[in-house]
Amino acid sequence: MNLPVEVLIALLVWGTLVGVDLVSLPQMMIARPIVAGAVAGAILGDIPTGLRLGVVFELMQYDILPVGAVRYPEYGPATVAAVATAHSSAGVLGLGLGALVGLVTGLAGGLTINVLRRVNSRVVHNAAAALESGNPRALLRVHAGGLLRDAARAALVTAFGLLLAWLARPLLAGALTVRGALLLAVATVAAAIAAGSAGTLRLVGKGPNLVWFAAGLGGGLLVVAGVAWLR
Amino acid sequence: MASMKVSLARALLRLFAVQGSYNYERLLGVGVGVAEEPLLRDLADGKYRPAVARGAHFFNAHPYLIGLAVGAAARAEHDGASPDQVERLREALCGPLGSVGDRLVWAGWLPFLSALTLAAVALGGGWIAVVSFLIVYNIGHVALRWWALKAGWTHGARVSVALHHPVLLKATATLGPAMALAVGFALPITAQYLAAPFGSWTRLALALAAVVAFLMLRVFGDRLNGLRFALGLSALALIAGWIWP
Repeated sequence: MNLPVEVLIALLVWGTLVGVDLVSLPQMMIARPIVAGAVAGAILGDIPTGLRLGVVFELMQYDILPVGAVRYPEYGPATVAAVATAHSSAGVLGLGLGALVGLVTGLAGGLTINVLRRVNSRVVHNAAAALESGNPRALLRVHAGGLLRDAARAALVTAFGLLLAWLARPLLAGALTVRGALLLAVATVAAAIAAGSAGTLRLVGKGPNLVWFAAGLGGGLLVVAGVAWLR
Repeated sequence: MASMKVSLARALLRLFAVQGSYNYERLLGVGVGVAEEPLLRDLADGKYRPAVARGAHFFNAHPYLIGLAVGAAARAEHDGASPDQVERLREALCGPLGSVGDRLVWAGWLPFLSALTLAAVALGGGWIAVVSFLIVYNIGHVALRWWALKAGWTHGARVSVALHHPVLLKATATLGPAMALAVGFALPITAQYLAAPFGSWTRLALALAAVVAFLMLRVFGDRLNGLRFALGLSALALIAGWIWP
């Protein structure tokens, strides 16, 4: 990945915004992979690649239901890194390598969220006396500190992902045969489709919504058949 | 009245960052305290600081509906409720606000619009589909946050009335089936879109791999999540590609 510095900075800033949006501020869903990927693609001048990787990770996102204090991977900055990787490698090689870099970045992102929450717990614990006194300045300080730490965390995860994107081509792309690249792309795309399907079925459940899901599936299959027939 | 509108607007802005200091000790408590603080400034000197401290105690709920708790607790403080009553009100709201919000947003509004966006992108909608998703999603998002805060402030300790608002009940009941229909519709279209760059034999391999992967995730879903499975499958593909050049 050989990108101009200004493009790298734009990707880093975008990945940071996306990472902060996931939990802290303002949860307007720029953290959704389909959005993160499309904008990363636009920054790179390659929206189709951004959309394709965005769709892959949006499907992976269906595997997660962020209820309660559940731990989950972070696919926003991961998608930014995935698009940066795929942009520099053509075709299915880019798709497979990009998805692999995104998966590793998503795993790292999820781990850092857990670490951040532990650090925040310690800060809140240490500030307990000030918080119990009802000091509004102490309250704001603790809260703003959490926000800033999350921004730093998101920047770090994005930088890690972009570093992986930079390393992926010399380390993997050169070593992969055509068949190897194809296998990697098949594996990552198949896993995304499977994770998306399994996740949506968990979301739908076994109740009356399953009938609606089946109806939707039938409609989708008809559209697929119709599109194939038109071609 | 004007100053209360300003306070409500400040509280709303702060609610967008309510999860900023998420931690395992008080969960969203600190963020809730920060959001509630502008609504408590009118309290008498001896009441302000204890109310701010109570606002920052342990709290967990859906972030978009937390405004109900923020408004209701602040109103209860203004109405002279005892500290015990305010604490009980907050405790009573945690569960319902989490449950209603999860069903309405995380399992309804968000996957419904996300699935429509996936289908639209797969059918050639491009970035317009993505921008439309952001606009439509956030109209519902901001409206829900604003309604929650206003309803909490209006009803105070009797805020449970707001949770039985007909629009909220209707939306929760409608979005479940709508989400199921939309994700069912989007899945095959999205799979076809992702398969497009592959040749016909590879598409067959992709379909087989996806079916086997799906079955494995269904059977071992309690021990295996999508990410771990995808990483494992990628590692296998890399090894296979290296052995079979």
